Amino acid sequence: MHLSRIGHWLYRRAENILALMLGIMFLAFIGQIVFRYFLNFPIGWTSELTVIMWLWLVLWGAAFVVRENEEIRFDLVYGAVGPTARRVMVILSSLALLGLYIFSLPAVVDYVTFMKVERTAYLKIRFDYLYSIYVIFAVAVICRYGWLLWKALRRAPKEVDPTTASSGL
Amino acid sequence: DKPKLRFSAVFSDQDIRANMMKSFAEDIADSFTFEGYYGGNLFKQGTELVALQRGNLEMSNVAPQDISNQLPEWSILTSAYLFRDANHLKAFFDSELGDEMKQMAEEKLGVRVLGPTFYGTRQVGLKPDKKINTPADMAGIKLRMPGGDAWQFLGQALGANPTPMAYAEVYTGLQTGAIDGQDNPLPNVQNMKFYEVMSQIVLTSHLVAFDLLTISSKSWNAMTPEQQQAVQAAADKAIDWSAAEHLKQEEELLAYFKEKGLEVYTPDIEAFRTHAQKLYLESDLSASWPEGLIEKINAL
Amino acid sequence: MNLSDPFTLCITSLVALSLLGLPIGHSMICASILYLYAAGLDMGTAAEQLLNSMFTSYTMLAVPLFILAAELMNSGSMTIRLLNFCNAIVGRFRGGLAQVNVLQSLIFAGMSGSAIADAAGMGKMMQKMMTENGKYTPSFAGALTAVSAVMAPILPPSIPLVIYSLVSNASIGFLFLAGILPGLLICISQMAIVAWSARRQNFPTEAPVPLKHIPGITIRALPALMLPVVLLVGLRGGVMTPTEAAAVAAGYALLVSAVIHRDVGFRELYASLQSAGRMTTSVGMLIAGALVFNYVVTVENIPNSISVFLLSFDLTPLTFLLIVNIVLLILGCLLEGTTILLVIVPVLIPTAQALGIDMVHFGVVVVFNVMLGLITPPYGLLLFVVTRVSGAPMRAIVRDTMPFLIGMLTALALITFIPGIVLFVPRLFGYSG
Ligand code: NA
Ligand code: NA
Repeated sequence: MHLSRIGHWLYRRAENILALMLGIMFLAFIGQIVFRYFLNFPIGWTSELTVIMWLWLVLWGAAFVVRENEEIRFDLVYGAVGPTARRVMVILSSLALLGLYIFSLPAVVDYVTFMKVERTAYLKIRFDYLYSIYVIFAVAVICRYGWLLWKALRRAPKEVDPTTASSGL
Repeated sequence: DKPKLRFSAVFSDQDIRANMMKSFAEDIADSFTFEGYYGGNLFKQGTELVALQRGNLEMSNVAPQDISNQLPEWSILTSAYLFRDANHLKAFFDSELGDEMKQMAEEKLGVRVLGPTFYGTRQVGLKPDKKINTPADMAGIKLRMPGGDAWQFLGQALGANPTPMAYAEVYTGLQTGAIDGQDNPLPNVQNMKFYEVMSQIVLTSHLVAFDLLTISSKSWNAMTPEQQQAVQAAADKAIDWSAAEHLKQEEELLAYFKEKGLEVYTPDIEAFRTHAQKLYLESDLSASWPEGLIEKINAL
Repeated sequence: MNLSDPFTLCITSLVALSLLGLPIGHSMICASILYLYAAGLDMGTAAEQLLNSMFTSYTMLAVPLFILAAELMNSGSMTIRLLNFCNAIVGRFRGGLAQVNVLQSLIFAGMSGSAIADAAGMGKMMQKMMTENGKYTPSFAGALTAVSAVMAPILPPSIPLVIYSLVSNASIGFLFLAGILPGLLICISQMAIVAWSARRQNFPTEAPVPLKHIPGITIRALPALMLPVVLLVGLRGGVMTPTEAAAVAAGYALLVSAVIHRDVGFRELYASLQSAGRMTTSVGMLIAGALVFNYVVTVENIPNSISVFLLSFDLTPLTFLLIVNIVLLILGCLLEGTTILLVIVPVLIPTAQALGIDMVHFGVVVVFNVMLGLITPPYGLLLFVVTRVSGAPMRAIVRDTMPFLIGMLTALALITFIPGIVLFVPRLFGYSG
């Protein structure tokens, strides 16, 4: 009970941060237009800030916020089969993902730490800090799929609702 | 099996420099398999240096700006009004001064510079027909420069209001008046059809544009001295050919743009040079420049 | 099939993982990691490609901002005011509400780049209005909402055209302009089909809105009606780049809803940011996965090999485009549209270029196909949305979309074989292709 309340609280904060990042991206864009066109005083760092927000928003959201039923997947087969088959499918795909993400993690960390030699063009942020979000993402995804695997081993996963996938189209 | 040389560059496979690499590949075909990737398809612009350093790429055409990102001493080679022309550029890299800079890159970054690949001289192209003679005439002109502090500073050094904008959006930017001008070598002005939406080209010649044909030290050191010699010779030959082609093309394009009805003229270059070098020396950018190098380069 | 070849292994695992139901983004990353390992390459390249490509894909930022703009429009009363306006104009004709449904989508299409946002937002209101008192069957209302929503990403602004510009390097500005006539073509075909069915099936008319009320209704809808104008003038007048236009659309919707209509406050803004953030994440993961997978495709030189293979048949541009249409329409029945744009289309681009097909023309044709995929079963996101909203069985909805689908296929044939229709407006604005 206590643990799930903490988990819920943390989830809400992760959502807050997601919304905040999109808000910052939005404001930076507006600022950029106002400064360039209306004040004839172009600033470059806003475009850098917006791409940083884009990168972090996607990986942060994928790590901590997005729910299983919101992700875009090919569910013609998955949605058509019965509970036992669904269970086997989740177990197989989770095992594959876990194997590959864990196996490649050292190489990923090696790349991210190597990037300490470079800084961004305007804000002079060290790239290893900037890119650390990928390591966070990879570890979170590993935990998430470990959890999905554990659940699937115990009981069949829920059916999918294709209408909840957000494709932006 | 012959060792593989994977090469990645931002220029397209239609570019003169892609032919330069073809000639290079033919000359070394006996000892190496050359795999060329163009248009930034394999590694994005600006990420090639790290790919070389991490062994994911053997060769690339690296911008000096990317080298100076890791090696601040190199930033002097990205400053405006440093090299007078393509010959001056070549003379520098053939000189002892050039050797020192290449040595520094090899020791600190683990890449070997084979030579500078000249791809034109950057000129200012404007939509408004205001006559430009000195940096003061550039005041208030929204000049698109590539992103990043160093490039934006270059725009200021020309006396303009520099503004960053994605390269692909420059045509529409000029057309709609979001920007008043851009600075690029003439071949780019033709490729991207910028001249259709410009009224004049001011031959400021503010930057002799070049990248560096670079090979990772790992690949270089794995070669026998004979192979190294052959690779360097092939690179020199290809680079010289490409530089000559670009110079020829620039000549032809000047005539072409005039024919298209653009105003093409040379401003007071001395005024621009003095203004730019003064701004650079006053700024933080020159803090990392090797002592006295600018005078030595000027004297070459 | 030789599984010891890294690329075969990669494709096999991609298909297998996707079929097992793993999200497509993760499937592409996993398959790429497997490739890197099998080919003896640095597995850190997966991270390298994802991070650097996302960091340099500035134009992609239009995607989250267009999503945010649509969220903001749907959270205030902007859309209801638009509906009232449309009703005042075309409600009086036979099949009035059905015409309102199409006209409303046309105007929304000029404001938003998302078809799903149209169907889930205004589509919901249209469904309620059309089925009240049994005026129209739920399946017809749902079908019409789905087919009219297809206009949103074809008329500018457009999220899929932004994604296409990422893979093709074609100018977004010109792509947007190129969508105008094809979008209007869809609108005309739908209005004609509605008018024809209205006469045959004796659809009801709406009580005519008295002329003296029309100015008031128009004024109440005016801020929303101005948005397409603001976007086009802003783009052509040089105030903003197409990417920034997305931020302007969001900013304008926020300004109108918060200041003029006063029905969006901090709470609604936060809800919109959050919901747009979530959608951005799921689209973004697809883009991210495709960017990693693209490295594998490039190393293996796949697009060029396909180009060499296809060109060996001496195809004419027209036969090639015809094949592309058929392939994309079939894939559209099975795959999600963004995946097609990111994975399949890049492989076709070198061939299109080699055949001298204009990249802007090709983009509109491709996006048109992908949008039809949203309404073709078994996998069509718009069908799913309207099935949920209408409660009608999907089979009945699909049946009712048929006349409109035929109309749109005719429009597709026209824009495929007469590039001038697509390129007319861009050329007016200086496009030299
Ligand atoms: Na509609
Ligand atoms: Na639209």
